[in-house]
Amino acid sequence: MSLRSLVKFWNEFFFAEQSPVPIALFRILYGILVIATLVLLHSDWLDWYGVDGWLSLPTASRLEPGHRLNLFTVIPQSNAWVEAVFWAVLASSVLLMLGLFTRMNSIVVFVFLTSLHQRNLYITHGGDTFLRLAGFFLIFAPAGAALSLDRMIRIRRGIESPSVQARSPWAQRMIQLQLSFLYLVTFLSKIKGAPWLQGTALFYIYHLDEFRRFPLPGWFFRPAVLKLGSWSALALEFSLGVLIWVKEFRYILLALGLLFHLWLEYSLNIPLFQWDILSAYILFIDGDDLVDSLSGVRRRVFGALSAFRSNPALKHRKSGQPPFRWLRYR
Amino acid sequence: MTMQTTTHKRADILARDEFALWYQADAASERMVSFAQKAKRLAVHLFVASHLVAIAFWCVPVDSPLIPLCRDLVRPYFLWAGLFQSWDMFAPIPKGANAYIEATLRYQDGSQKTWTFPRMEQMSRKEKLFKERYRKFADYLQRDELDELLPDAARHIARLNSSPGHPVRTVILVRRISFIVPRGNGVYVPEPWDSHILLGYGVRPEDLK
Repeated sequence: MSLRSLVKFWNEFFFAEQSPVPIALFRILYGILVIATLVLLHSDWLDWYGVDGWLSLPTASRLEPGHRLNLFTVIPQSNAWVEAVFWAVLASSVLLMLGLFTRMNSIVVFVFLTSLHQRNLYITHGGDTFLRLAGFFLIFAPAGAALSLDRMIRIRRGIESPSVQARSPWAQRMIQLQLSFLYLVTFLSKIKGAPWLQGTALFYIYHLDEFRRFPLPGWFFRPAVLKLGSWSALALEFSLGVLIWVKEFRYILLALGLLFHLWLEYSLNIPLFQWDILSAYILFIDGDDLVDSLSGVRRRVFGALSAFRSNPALKHRKSGQPPFRWLRYR
Repeated sequence: MTMQTTTHKRADILARDEFALWYQADAASERMVSFAQKAKRLAVHLFVASHLVAIAFWCVPVDSPLIPLCRDLVRPYFLWAGLFQSWDMFAPIPKGANAYIEATLRYQDGSQKTWTFPRMEQMSRKEKLFKERYRKFADYLQRDELDELLPDAARHIARLNSSPGHPVRTVILVRRISFIVPRGNGVYVPEPWDSHILLGYGVRPEDLK
């Protein structure tokens, strides 16, 4: 491989313009997940972040020293302000999900999310960490270039054309790379431990009472099944970290990854973790394929409706125009 | 006639000069724009490359003397910006024991009570969704390197269990643990629970305010 071909690959991978629909869909999912995280935290908000909570600000600063982006060190030390943080980040997440003042709200949500993690790092799981990291790169992404109120306003004002403009995907690529790092590093960490190599890891995990969620079938606890499960998890994590970049394997791996996370969602109680990770799968789907799938769903929905009555929304199909034309960029 | 020609020539020259000036200004602004675009493009390339390398060095669990050096280099930025990360759930070795935290509370009047830290296995499915953070926090409370968390936790437990006329005076945090031991045929038989004292804390009046 020559230096010239490397440069060409780099430029094409990070900067060849593509549809912003996947990153826009990710923005919507991201907003929903931040809102869900906040809703789940709300009943214990002051216990986790309040002045007299489980962890005081001085102790948190002592345990995690250094200069950190943490609004809690700046705001007055009162529970009223801590409550205000909740409503501010909630409002900003809703606006980000809707795509109104998208760039500004992506910055605000990231700063608040980082501050919450810095304030109490000891209640965050991997899904929260992934949201924080993805939020950082979302700031730089054209997240409001499709499926957003910002875009609707720009079209109304005549600033933007109704068809979606292709955009440079470098920030989207960084979130994708972050996800594949997550899988690869997990794989590399696991193969350092004997239980994973011997295939006994799942025996321990599925006997931890605190993670238990829905009932599991008896056959799942057979040593051979647990062994197969441990090794399959390793193989899948390696594949999702590395082979996902091979176009021919991508969709099959995404499907397997989806099944893997749905199984974990069923069997282990780690609220939102699986959804935080799965949200980024959308970034691996080609923009046109995404629009085609949306069209398929729409066709089916309207097809079912039209069985009962003739639907005016189906008129465009009769005129031969493809559905979701406004989301196509070519 | 001569005067008119001279005036025309002058106007011509002026117009030409103006055009030349405008053209030069336009070319200069174009150069500026293209310079700004190039600078922006270069900055984006540098941003992408440096973050990729930094993230890789930060989280890849490979034993090399280069890794800690690079981590130290990016640490201040990563800690400030919130880019720090670790992906080691259930790795390299999954937790091998069920454990929970109990607090033995002694009140000023001499009475005693046992308070159990919220336990996932005793909650309904809905409660588990909202209270899962307690599992994570309890996990950290049991780590030796984070024993600074314990006094804050003891104070909070004292506040939760005190009333003005019935204040807690002592909190003893106890870790209850039962190891997960696979039998020969893969069958799981729960081991008996063991106890370890994590902290004994004398509650001060100001802790309860």
